[in-house]
Amino acid sequence: MNMKSDVKVSIKHLHKHFGAETAVKDFNLDITQGEFVTLLGPSGCGKTTTLRCVAGLERPEEGEIQIGNETVVAPAKDIYLFPEHRNIGMVFQSYAVWPHMTVFDNVAYGLRVRRTSSKEIKTRTMRALELVGLDHLAERFATKLSGGQRQRVALARAIVYEPDVILFDEPLSNLDAKLREQMRDEIVRLQKEVGITSIFVTHDQSEALVMSDRVVVMDKAVIQQIGGPEDIYANPVNSFVANFIGVTSLLEGKLTARNGGVCDVEVPSANGSDPLQLRGAGAPGAQPGDGIFLNLRPEDVQLHLEAPDVSDGKNVIEGQVIDTIYLGSFLEGRVRASGHEIGIQIDHYENLSPGQTVWLTFQPEHGLCLTE
Amino acid sequence: MTSEYEDAYLEVENLVKYFGDDKAVDGISFGIPKGAFLTLLGPSGCGKTTTLMSIAGLHSIDGGRIRVGKTVFTSPKEGLFLPPEKRDIGMVFQSYAIWPHMTVAQNVAYPLEIREWQRSDIDDRVAEVLKLVGLTDWADSLATNLSGGQQQRASLARAIVSNPSLLLFDEPLSNLDLKLREHMRVELKRIQNEVGITSIYVTHDQSEALVMSDEIIVMSKGKIEQRGGPLEIYSSPVNEYVSNFIGVANLMQAKVVEVSETGIGKVEVSQGGQAVKLMCRLGPGIEAGKDAVLSVRPENVHAEREGGEGMLAGECTHAIFLGSYVDCRVKWGDFEWKVITHPRNHPRTGEKVYLRFDAEHTLAVQP
Amino acid sequence: MTTETLSPTLQRSRLNNRLRAMVTQENMITVVVALIVAGAVIVPLAVLFVSSFKVLDPLGWDTVWGFGNYVEMFTDRIIPKAFLNTLIISSGATVLATFLGVTLAWINARTNCPGRDYLEPYNLIPFFLSPFIGAIAWHNLGEPQTGLLNNWARDILGIEGALINVDNIWGVIWVTGIFFAPLVYLFVVGSLRRMDPSLEDSARTTGAGLVRTTMTVTLPLVMPGILSGAIIVFVTSAGEFGVPFKLSAPYGWETLTTQIFSKAVGDDANHYLGAAMSMALGIITVLLIWVQQRYIAPRSFTTVTGKGFRPNVLDLGPWKWVAFGYNLMFIAVAVVLPIVCLIIVSLHPVWTGKMVWADITTINYVKTLFWWRPDAIAAATNGIINSLILAFGGASIAMVMALVISYMIHRTKGFGVRMLDFLSVVPIGFPGIVLAMGVLVTYIQTPIYATLWILMLAYITRFFPYGQRNISSIMLAISEELDQSSRMAGASWFTTLRRITIPLLKPGLFAGWILLFIIFLRELSISIILFTTGTETLSVGVYYLTNFENEPLTAALSMAQTVLLLIAIYAFRRFAGREALTA
Repeated sequence: MNMKSDVKVSIKHLHKHFGAETAVKDFNLDITQGEFVTLLGPSGCGKTTTLRCVAGLERPEEGEIQIGNETVVAPAKDIYLFPEHRNIGMVFQSYAVWPHMTVFDNVAYGLRVRRTSSKEIKTRTMRALELVGLDHLAERFATKLSGGQRQRVALARAIVYEPDVILFDEPLSNLDAKLREQMRDEIVRLQKEVGITSIFVTHDQSEALVMSDRVVVMDKAVIQQIGGPEDIYANPVNSFVANFIGVTSLLEGKLTARNGGVCDVEVPSANGSDPLQLRGAGAPGAQPGDGIFLNLRPEDVQLHLEAPDVSDGKNVIEGQVIDTIYLGSFLEGRVRASGHEIGIQIDHYENLSPGQTVWLTFQPEHGLCLTE
Repeated sequence: MTSEYEDAYLEVENLVKYFGDDKAVDGISFGIPKGAFLTLLGPSGCGKTTTLMSIAGLHSIDGGRIRVGKTVFTSPKEGLFLPPEKRDIGMVFQSYAIWPHMTVAQNVAYPLEIREWQRSDIDDRVAEVLKLVGLTDWADSLATNLSGGQQQRASLARAIVSNPSLLLFDEPLSNLDLKLREHMRVELKRIQNEVGITSIYVTHDQSEALVMSDEIIVMSKGKIEQRGGPLEIYSSPVNEYVSNFIGVANLMQAKVVEVSETGIGKVEVSQGGQAVKLMCRLGPGIEAGKDAVLSVRPENVHAEREGGEGMLAGECTHAIFLGSYVDCRVKWGDFEWKVITHPRNHPRTGEKVYLRFDAEHTLAVQP
Repeated sequence: MTTETLSPTLQRSRLNNRLRAMVTQENMITVVVALIVAGAVIVPLAVLFVSSFKVLDPLGWDTVWGFGNYVEMFTDRIIPKAFLNTLIISSGATVLATFLGVTLAWINARTNCPGRDYLEPYNLIPFFLSPFIGAIAWHNLGEPQTGLLNNWARDILGIEGALINVDNIWGVIWVTGIFFAPLVYLFVVGSLRRMDPSLEDSARTTGAGLVRTTMTVTLPLVMPGILSGAIIVFVTSAGEFGVPFKLSAPYGWETLTTQIFSKAVGDDANHYLGAAMSMALGIITVLLIWVQQRYIAPRSFTTVTGKGFRPNVLDLGPWKWVAFGYNLMFIAVAVVLPIVCLIIVSLHPVWTGKMVWADITTINYVKTLFWWRPDAIAAATNGIINSLILAFGGASIAMVMALVISYMIHRTKGFGVRMLDFLSVVPIGFPGIVLAMGVLVTYIQTPIYATLWILMLAYITRFFPYGQRNISSIMLAISEELDQSSRMAGASWFTTLRRITIPLLKPGLFAGWILLFIIFLRELSISIILFTTGTETLSVGVYYLTNFENEPLTAALSMAQTVLLLIAIYAFRRFAGREALTA
């Protein structure tokens, strides 16, 4: 097996079943040194199972995983390394900080297991605690810590012995909103500082967008898309990814014609009125007559209270306001057009009343056409 | 004796409540008209839940008076205390408090049975209310088989079934996960609108308060900081505390330079040797020559690529991509501005940008 | 508002309000209940304490104050040795029960041992049965001449002499150990099952192997449970009367409990010396229970999370059959062998140590259960009726009391609440025989002595905390908001209690009731001190038969008690969970 020198973790053709249920199907991914990769998907999509296979807490039926230069599992070759024999660090959702030890002992554990000299244990543990800002609490018992502090202990414990890769299993989902954002930034800062290769599992798309170098979107045991955060947000490959990442309105219709990069899409009405005739972009392989999902992000839609001038080639949709929600920084609204709901986002407060007729415009290049 | 809120439907007058030596509520007064939706908003320990429990009658109060319609609920001075069951109130708890030994329908029917309604009337009314909250199909399942969101709907159905004179909500959404919480906000508001029962809602979540309320009371340390509609509270906070608690704001020490009749003035902000004068709106109690705090929401700071008058030149240190918007940090001296930009055209990390402010959305408030 | 110009009358009424606020119904009721409970719990212990300083003069006519009883405890010919024996027995039983309890709990909670879902109820059966009966059964199994096992060994294996002898201090340790093993099991299995698996996973991913993970993470985490179980076993063994009475006392190994018994009744009765010995035993047990409640139980790491975890299960490979066999062996020696032995013995007119098919008869059951010659063994037949009265009545009264006390502790804020909370722990610290001595010296001159009422009083005083804890654990789990929302719905306090609170507590009420029913049905160490002719209980009947009649009759009555207990255990399993036992 030849492996590129900077590839730190390599997963090939990974399969895992639980009884009759397929948890992970043909999972392939190479992660380079220092990269932060997120496995993102709804619960039951196989992201946690994949992570646990890397950790050695689950045994896959097929495939091969390499960490560093070592094959840690390969059922075909009868190779399986126990978790303790893989040089990994892991941070769990429930923190899993040992309540019968002090903060120091928790963090030092991995070094003691590796028979490090006591002098080195002291310096390295304290340095890890400094990194997470807990050096002043070293002698405190873990039960006396807040949720955020426990997660920091777990983080220090996982990095202290400089593992090849650090695995995060939804580590932020037990924290409240404010703390979650704080810890999120903290983990990113620390990861960049230490330069450690990381695999992060989450179901929260905003976490994935903010933290990752690359995002792996999974659904139903299968990888849907791999890409950078801005890339998958702007260019989702299918309606699942478009819907799962960010907020969007998906209008289901048919491709009627194609002029260069511009697709003409007809979206049939859902309430008997005229169909919507829209222009979008993308769907390079689609032929006229094929089914299309037109993906429209709320922030790309402009709202007009009077019929706008459309000489610049923008799409125009006339519709009625369903409702609006005032969220402080912006107004979120829904508009019904030909029986379809379209989400909008308005920067400043406008007095919209339900039922009011409004006009929405958007650029054809912002209406991404997806074939599945 | 007359009071400020004599004409209001619900009147809380000078409410005082101690826990031991702690003054949990420190003489607050407010009133709301019939059918309104009022939110008590504040951090934990600000006295909002204590106020709600006082109205519910789940504990006695040490001073003041609470009245709904023509009924005085409690007034220690007059020796009045109506027990909770006599107050005709519906209440929705944080823990849902759905009785696990009863079905959904039995839970909802309970208040009517207590009021000794006819069996057939009870059945009709329960069916009607379950339809309103969307639980018709779950009427006969045990409450414990419901999801969190469904339990909260059942709890709401039970609270409104007897058409009480007042509906109280004690952080009803805080046990739900984010997606469901956002959905239930809209649902709760819709149902309250439909039944039109005067409601008091307690939360620590400012976005919940903004979305749902007709009026918001922001509380801190047992006192009222500000009272007003969501838009007013968000766009015209009276002081630093409120503007920090509601939404996100860039808050900066400033000196008031000029005050005019129109409510528009000029303040000076300085950082690391740079000083800029900015036009802004003036909050209450702002005087020329005094210190103030400049409060600007991130979405009201505009990052431009070209400089100009009254603009701050800074450097973008972070650009956090969040899908529908990009959260940028722009460094000006030692101060880090939070700026929200559109994902289609946002500054990159390390890029030089110029921050522009409009006077209309820039506010000087009391420290 | 004008508050400055209050008239004098208004000011006075304000003061009255303040006073009236303190004399609320809540405060009144909690104080009254606390006083009643304090009377039941504290008075006997106080009188016991005082009595221990009364020294009986040599003629037995009069008493003088002094430390003579305590001096005698050290100078007496037997008592110091009894002390030592109690320590040896308790320590030995604790070691054995802890070993059995921890290994069985681990096998059931954390390995792929076959049939582990079905074994648990059987592992717990000894917890409910009477150790006294166990001692009688083991006497019939392991007596050198007439023991069934010894005879089988001679017949089948052809060995000379005896295979085992349980009529000594080791026999006491053996029987006590196997009968109290479920106590440790219960304290440990919960924390093993509920432990967050990621606590162990994180040790593995950090680089620790299976053995190291077990030693540094798993074991320390269940240690509070193990220690709690061990202390409870030590205390219970020290207060156990029936087993040493049957197996060791007749052969020269007296214990504190058998000595207290001999000072309470019989020819050389000396209540004051008995009181002093009870004080000595009580102080040791109270100290240990205090340590357990104050320092060990609160350290429990894993029981706080209510989350349902799927614990890590260890694949034992072929060793799983060894684990399975080990578990079956435990059930065999603790449940199956004793019961089989009692059945065999009870079907013989006389017991010689060998089964004689031709002699099989049901005469012993006719004698003990159907009033064949009521005058001869009235003690036995009275016992069944009396025990059923005490079990039904006592469990019912105790649960009502437990309900009231729990409600006060968790739902009211009256003055007496803290005292009630404390009083609900005190009885757990004292062995039944100690409390019974207290009740004896307190009420011996009152009309309730020599009635069932004194037994009922002592039973309830000693055991109501078990019922109270069953209710309290549920009351803590159900939020107060469930009550409050009923008040908001317009229901009064009483309607809320009737329609919401009590229905929600039903599982706890029922579990507590059956648990007390079982405890009362087999109770020996209190009854043995307080019974008189006519107020014998089931266990006293067994005591009477084993002391004054023959083994087959004893075995028959023992079987009758065991069958009643097994029925109750079945009901308990149907309606209550494992958690009801350690509450």
